[in-house]
Amino acid sequence: MKWIDVQNNQSFDIESIVYLRKDDFSNTVSELLQTGSRMIALTPIDKNIPQKIIAVLSDSASSTIHIVGGDFSDGKFEFESWANKFPQTNYFECELSENYSYLPVNHPWLRPVRKQSVILKNKPYQFFKLEGEEVHEVAVGPIHAGVIEPGHFRFQCHGELIYNLEIILGYQHRAVEKLFLNANQNQRIILAESIAGDTTIGHTFAHCSALESLAQTQISLRADVIRTIAAEIERVAMHLSGLGGLSNDIGFALPSASYGRLRTLAINSLAAICGSRFGRGLFAYGGVQFDFTDEIIKMVINNLKTVQNDVQKINEYLFSSVGALSRFEETGIINNELANSIGLVGLAARSSGIEDDIRINFPYSAYRYNPISMINLSTGDVFARARARAMEIDEAFRFVFEQIENLPQGKIKTEMGNLNANSGVISIVEGWRGEIVHIASTDNSGNLTQYKIKDPSFNNWYGLSLTMRNTAISDFPLCNKSFDLSYSGHDL
Amino acid sequence: MGIDILQGIISIIIILGLSPLFAGLVNKQKAILTGRIGAPILQPYYDLQKIFKKETINATSSSFISRISPLINLVTLVIAAAMLPVGFWKPLISFSGDIILFAYILGLARFFQILAAMDIGSSFEGMGAAREATFALFAEPIFFFTIGSISFISGFTSLFDIYHSIELTNISYGVFIIICSISVFMLAVSECSRMPVDDPNTHLELTMIHEVMILDNSGIDLFLYQYSSYIKLFIYAILEISFFYPFSQQSYLLGILIFITGSAALTFVLGVVETIISRSKMKNIPQYLLFATAIGILNLLIYTFTK
Repeated sequence: MKWIDVQNNQSFDIESIVYLRKDDFSNTVSELLQTGSRMIALTPIDKNIPQKIIAVLSDSASSTIHIVGGDFSDGKFEFESWANKFPQTNYFECELSENYSYLPVNHPWLRPVRKQSVILKNKPYQFFKLEGEEVHEVAVGPIHAGVIEPGHFRFQCHGELIYNLEIILGYQHRAVEKLFLNANQNQRIILAESIAGDTTIGHTFAHCSALESLAQTQISLRADVIRTIAAEIERVAMHLSGLGGLSNDIGFALPSASYGRLRTLAINSLAAICGSRFGRGLFAYGGVQFDFTDEIIKMVINNLKTVQNDVQKINEYLFSSVGALSRFEETGIINNELANSIGLVGLAARSSGIEDDIRINFPYSAYRYNPISMINLSTGDVFARARARAMEIDEAFRFVFEQIENLPQGKIKTEMGNLNANSGVISIVEGWRGEIVHIASTDNSGNLTQYKIKDPSFNNWYGLSLTMRNTAISDFPLCNKSFDLSYSGHDL
Repeated sequence: MGIDILQGIISIIIILGLSPLFAGLVNKQKAILTGRIGAPILQPYYDLQKIFKKETINATSSSFISRISPLINLVTLVIAAAMLPVGFWKPLISFSGDIILFAYILGLARFFQILAAMDIGSSFEGMGAAREATFALFAEPIFFFTIGSISFISGFTSLFDIYHSIELTNISYGVFIIICSISVFMLAVSECSRMPVDDPNTHLELTMIHEVMILDNSGIDLFLYQYSSYIKLFIYAILEISFFYPFSQQSYLLGILIFITGSAALTFVLGVVETIISRSKMKNIPQYLLFATAIGILNLLIYTFTK
């Protein structure tokens, strides 16, 4: 066997990884990509041994994660780039190159991911340029007119039509991955909570699952269910906020105000559970910090029933409005083939007809026992992404009500032991935006030697950029909102 | 003669003084309709006061055009305001053919605003200027086909006289007025950058038309632009309300009453329209404007065939 297979959240011995030589490594990864696996990470398993890297590929069909090792001990850090054939690996290669000075040979477009100075060797970044009398360039950001995160967008336009959009990120880089290695246990959860402020629960979920697997700690079913309920409430809240944002971007005042109001109710339910509207402080290693009392259950159900009831009406209003539909439909299309080749994940991928939901394909935590249904739409336009949100909200409500009324008994927290030595784990969680990957590994004394995070935004920013081709520049904010990507999640 | 001038001056003061209130009323109604408390009705006045106190900064790449344009904007709009009747008072400036002056004095304001936007040299503002110029091209015929058709029908070429000739008792006039008020409303929406043509509340610089042109202005310049845009909105409101004066009755009190209730009703209509509709795609805006032009042409056709 040229690679090892693991399951989601299954801790493995890092000694068991088979390290292949340069060309063999390249071919094996290529082979796996060919058979429909998708790259989810490309990184050294030990931060201090950069010559040994692993390519992690997920195979949704068989629910397995392939880990291919590559050994570059003798010779240069060079490998044949896969990006020409499989554009989805493009950004992973750039990231590896930036962090560990690898050179993907024949890479089509080696560019900085977060740190401008590394790949460019302090030369100024060269933007893609379009020349001619009638073309013009519009540069937006990193400081924007609204209160949003920083990112630089450069449009090459012909009149109102966009030819190319280039997105430069990295302004929020905080070296989170490095901070994880130096942090103590108490600090780590707080760090995980602040990877992306809007996916607090998603990232903390992935982080806790990863470390619990490394410590071989089994958490109680009750804690599992509470975690998934919180994750679903976060999904509801963020999807409401997304729909509100979409309505706001088309100047549709009524739904915009209503979704905003309903989102407050949803996040207030989280506050009722753990005291923070974004779910901070809920997660702990070995379970959760706060239990559901009858009082809390009653309040959460009450809150969410109100939201469910009102959301139905306002959805009906939004999705039957001719004005809104004319803005949503056939705007910012990303078809199935393109979405597949660039490795789109999460909500955006499901709106382009890709059947990819970690909760179903790589079930974890309480989703193993309580399945959720896949929402899948095929048109891949803004409408699909808006509609998918509305449908996921319905499905999340079904899940939450079902679970909260049948909470299993048990304690909510078990003591977590020390991390196993020489182990690694890959933890994938479906955040509201999509697939969140946390990879952790330990050395022979059980200290973390690598912590790798991949937010769904990492894959999807490129999708947004391609979506904008041949779209009117005035539709950019709408398309951007329909993806609703995170800057800090990408920048780490 | 003396009383005419006095009335004309009072009219201008009313227009200049109340225009921010009009905008405030629209915003308040919008807020109430979407279930929010909203900003106070007098918020536009506070905003103007706030902007006025701020420091004025000009882009280093800009020329004198950027400095004079805000003032020209305000002055032209004040002149336009001086040509409109409040109640049935004779406006300060009123002569045969003043509809042409009215249309092009507003055109002058726009011309300088576009120039100033391009003068700053930012790619955004150039984009906004291009949009403004394009849509202005489609908006101009609306004015001439609607106000022009009424002028043609009544035989007068002065705004005051045109409105003066309107009699609600005459049924055929009633038809023309309804048609005209629709197309003037559509024109007002486009000229004053309201929904569905432009979103006055958006922060998304890439979708703006009017707002993007004043993105780089601050302090007194922004004050002048902002104030002019309030005046412009009110000017178009008056253009709309004036259709409904029963001038033939010549009662001062009734005229003022209709002015007040008409304005209030119009804020309500604007508030409702902006709540229940979404912004249209930018490439569909010319269609919207051409539709309004077509309505104006319809007016002429009805007149020609029924004469």
